Amino acid sequence: MTFRAKLFWVFTLALLLSVGLVAAGVTVATRRAFDDLNREHSDALVAQFQREFDRRGEEVVDRVKAIASEEATIHMAVDLSLPKGDASVYVYDARGVSQSHQLDFLDFVNSDGTIISSAEWPAHFNSKMNWVIQPEDWASTGSFLTKMDTQDGPTLGLMAVTQVPVADKAIYIVGGERLDKGFLSSLVLPPGMRALLYLNLDQGFQANDLVSAGTPENEPERFTSLIEKEQASPQPRTEKIQWTFDPASAEEIHALPLVGRQKELLGVLLVGNSLRNVVLLERRIRYLALIVAGIGLLLGALLSWWAAARVTRPVTKLVTAAQEVAEGNWSAHVDVRGRDEVGRLARSFNQMTHQLIEQRERLIQAERVAAWREVARRLAHELKNPLFPLQTTVENMQRAKDKNPELFDEVFRESTRILLTEIENLKSIVGRFSDFSKMPQPEFAAVNVNDVVRDVVKLFEAQLGAVGRPPITPELHLDEELPAIQADATMLHRAMENLVLNAMDAMPAGGVLMLRTAHKDGTVLVEVSDTGGGLTPEESERIFTPYYTTKQHGTGLGLAIVQAVVSDHGGRISVESESGVGTSFHIELPSHPPRRPQKFPMLLKQEEEA
Amino acid sequence: MSRRLAANSLLLALALVLAVLPAKTARRPGYGGTLRIEIGAVIHSLDLSVAAVSPEEAAAKLEIDSLINDRSGAPAAQPAAGPFRISAWEPGKRLTLAANGDFPKGRPFVDAIDFTMGKSAKDRLLDLELDKTDFIRIPADQARSAAESGVRVNTSQPDELLAILFATGGSNAPSSPVRQAIAQALDRGAIVNFVLQKTGEPAGGLLPQWSSGTAFLFSASSAPAGAVQQVKEIRAQNQPSIRLLLGYDSGDSVEQRVAERIVVDAREAGIAMTAGPIQGTSALGAATVPPGFDARIIRWRMPSPRPDAALANFLAAFPGLAQAAADACGPANSAERIYRCERAIVDTREIIPLAFLPQVYGLSARMRDWQAPGPGETWPLADVWLDGAPQ
Repeated sequence: MTFRAKLFWVFTLALLLSVGLVAAGVTVATRRAFDDLNREHSDALVAQFQREFDRRGEEVVDRVKAIASEEATIHMAVDLSLPKGDASVYVYDARGVSQSHQLDFLDFVNSDGTIISSAEWPAHFNSKMNWVIQPEDWASTGSFLTKMDTQDGPTLGLMAVTQVPVADKAIYIVGGERLDKGFLSSLVLPPGMRALLYLNLDQGFQANDLVSAGTPENEPERFTSLIEKEQASPQPRTEKIQWTFDPASAEEIHALPLVGRQKELLGVLLVGNSLRNVVLLERRIRYLALIVAGIGLLLGALLSWWAAARVTRPVTKLVTAAQEVAEGNWSAHVDVRGRDEVGRLARSFNQMTHQLIEQRERLIQAERVAAWREVARRLAHELKNPLFPLQTTVENMQRAKDKNPELFDEVFRESTRILLTEIENLKSIVGRFSDFSKMPQPEFAAVNVNDVVRDVVKLFEAQLGAVGRPPITPELHLDEELPAIQADATMLHRAMENLVLNAMDAMPAGGVLMLRTAHKDGTVLVEVSDTGGGLTPEESERIFTPYYTTKQHGTGLGLAIVQAVVSDHGGRISVESESGVGTSFHIELPSHPPRRPQKFPMLLKQEEEA
Repeated sequence: MSRRLAANSLLLALALVLAVLPAKTARRPGYGGTLRIEIGAVIHSLDLSVAAVSPEEAAAKLEIDSLINDRSGAPAAQPAAGPFRISAWEPGKRLTLAANGDFPKGRPFVDAIDFTMGKSAKDRLLDLELDKTDFIRIPADQARSAAESGVRVNTSQPDELLAILFATGGSNAPSSPVRQAIAQALDRGAIVNFVLQKTGEPAGGLLPQWSSGTAFLFSASSAPAGAVQQVKEIRAQNQPSIRLLLGYDSGDSVEQRVAERIVVDAREAGIAMTAGPIQGTSALGAATVPPGFDARIIRWRMPSPRPDAALANFLAAFPGLAQAAADACGPANSAERIYRCERAIVDTREIIPLAFLPQVYGLSARMRDWQAPGPGETWPLADVWLDGAPQ
């Protein structure tokens, strides 16, 4: 991943994180605000329902009191207070009275708790309603909830009781409204709210006991948990029910326990408040926030990309320049302006490359001087040996002519022979230097390195086993799968000759000359090893320096030529030596030679001048 | 003084004679007038071979048939003309009968009888109070309130048995212990005193006391504690929940109220009983319990005041019960045999007698010489005359 990409992702993630945090904060705050608003709304509605419930209870009390004050009721009370009072004549009176007073329940109960007449269950006459005659001040009790028996089974009633005393007896008027579908329908509830009633008539949750004002509840079992909690511990509580996978179907259910006079749980009023509008509003806000966040992120990404590009452009230039430097182009220059860190870095880079070039050129100059010195030294050394016999011969000739003229001819012949020999020797020395200076450019063609190795070994076979010389045993370990490489066979042959000659010189007492070839990843490996005396570490470091030699009569150009040939083929040569064990030269040759390396301008200039 | 007293006494006696004479002449039967009758049934055909759709229609058709046909001859013989003949007939609405002057047993007093059909009990009572009709039938449970409101009410001997008939034979039929529990739970006194408004009498047997003389041997009291105990035992054994459906004739308010009261008694005993109407012609087959019901309310009216004849008729009407008590119900007609037969039937608990009901009639003030018909008798309308009719 590029620096620009990293920078882009860092900017983008930072932006995403910021936007996400802000969005989350806004969402949480919005939701809390909506929850608070919804709770206040629900509380207000529940309170409104409670007031409505209380008002209905007061109405029931008023109606029952009205019945008690009617003349017919008083007449009934008086009649039944008489010793021969006949209750049977009133058995069907309750229904008519209840209808005229719009009551669902109406029971006339005698002073012994016997039902005289029942509106909700006419056949229930003569049965006992003992709770009515329990000592209680019905005048102050007001309305209350109780379980009422009807022909269709028990149900809940919002009831009131009034006593009509006559002498030492009394009859009781028990009237009320049924808490059922009709009662729920008559409640005035705002849009989005609904009321359900659970009649706690059986143990556990019974779906049939759930009454709704409209159509029967489709999934009554969803209330099971709430109802069971109320049955376990009656108290107002709220739960949210999501009816479908759509969160907009959620409904907040407020459960209000309906208890009787003995605080027993008789029913649970379930006030449902649809959260559809709130959820839709929240969803709209969320969508809007997402769109804004998305646009913000998109813009942020674009800005991040632009900023990353702007920030990394000088760095990219620096990277490109550094790569050029790595490839050898030390003249690479970074054109970056600015006073910031990157600008200073670019300027430092330019300064550094400039200094590197100068140092390199100085180094090369120094090396060149050192090389010329070495050349001069070697030349002086090489030339001094033949010059001394020349000088001596010429002095002998002068002395012979001055002091022994009779021997002059013989001295002259002998001296001229020596002079010619030494002059020939001088020409040979000059020729070797000339050959080294005239190293040709390689001409590449497909070459099998094994063939080159075999030819060289064949060339030296006679010398290796020459009579009077300690034998040197050649060992060849050639990789027959060796691929052909692009190389100059003649130059390779010359390099191998030098290595073999070097090895032979290193083994004056004989030994083993081992040549090994191998290949790896398209690169051909050649190893030339001897079992000679080895090199010191210092020798190993300088052994490829031109005109450096460890031999008495060496020119110091053999291994320099080897290194030059290997280098011209884009390869690499290294030496591995251990004193007393031997020396190994490792050559790596690529399958294809590289481009011709770029020369430094100063060197080119000097070469041109040369 | 004594002469003066004698003269005053003579004048007083003369005044009394003068005052009494017109009254005596007014009470003498007179011919003429139209007797207005309202009935609840809707009769579409007077032919007895055409099946009625309700027990009320069947009974009304028999009454009308007795007015236009004289079936006192041999059973197989063609019926002779009755005391009335049809003068106008609007099926389902109205029937007018005219007096048959050639009737061998004497011309009826009234010139005509006008039947208006399809009147509810409430409308019939209202019309009677408003003097829009002369003769109606009143449901037994309304007899008392009608009398208290000033209606002239005529009541027969209690000759109609009201009872629960249980389904038998089926896999879901109520078991004998369940029937026993229900019999114990029933409060017949409440039924008679409250539902029937003291019109009728609790029934423990099949025949009323005035007929058999042994009705007092059958207990009509309730034992709710025993019923509760019985139900507990049943539940403990193999029936954790006892659910029963009791049927009643959908057109009979008395049956409905009685059934609803039985439901109360049964529930207090722990039996989950509900009451439901029997619709249509199913109500006619009183001897059987329609499918879907576990029991039904039945009415059986005695065809004869004689206990042996009445019991024979009962056995014929309820062959299932006759078969259950076949050993005890032989041909002998002694009071003891009748009692044993009756006891055997009642002890099966396949039928639980509830009450004996009288026939209750409402009469207008001008209707004279009405005698409530006894068991097996029809309305003696040929003997009725209207006050104010020409002498």
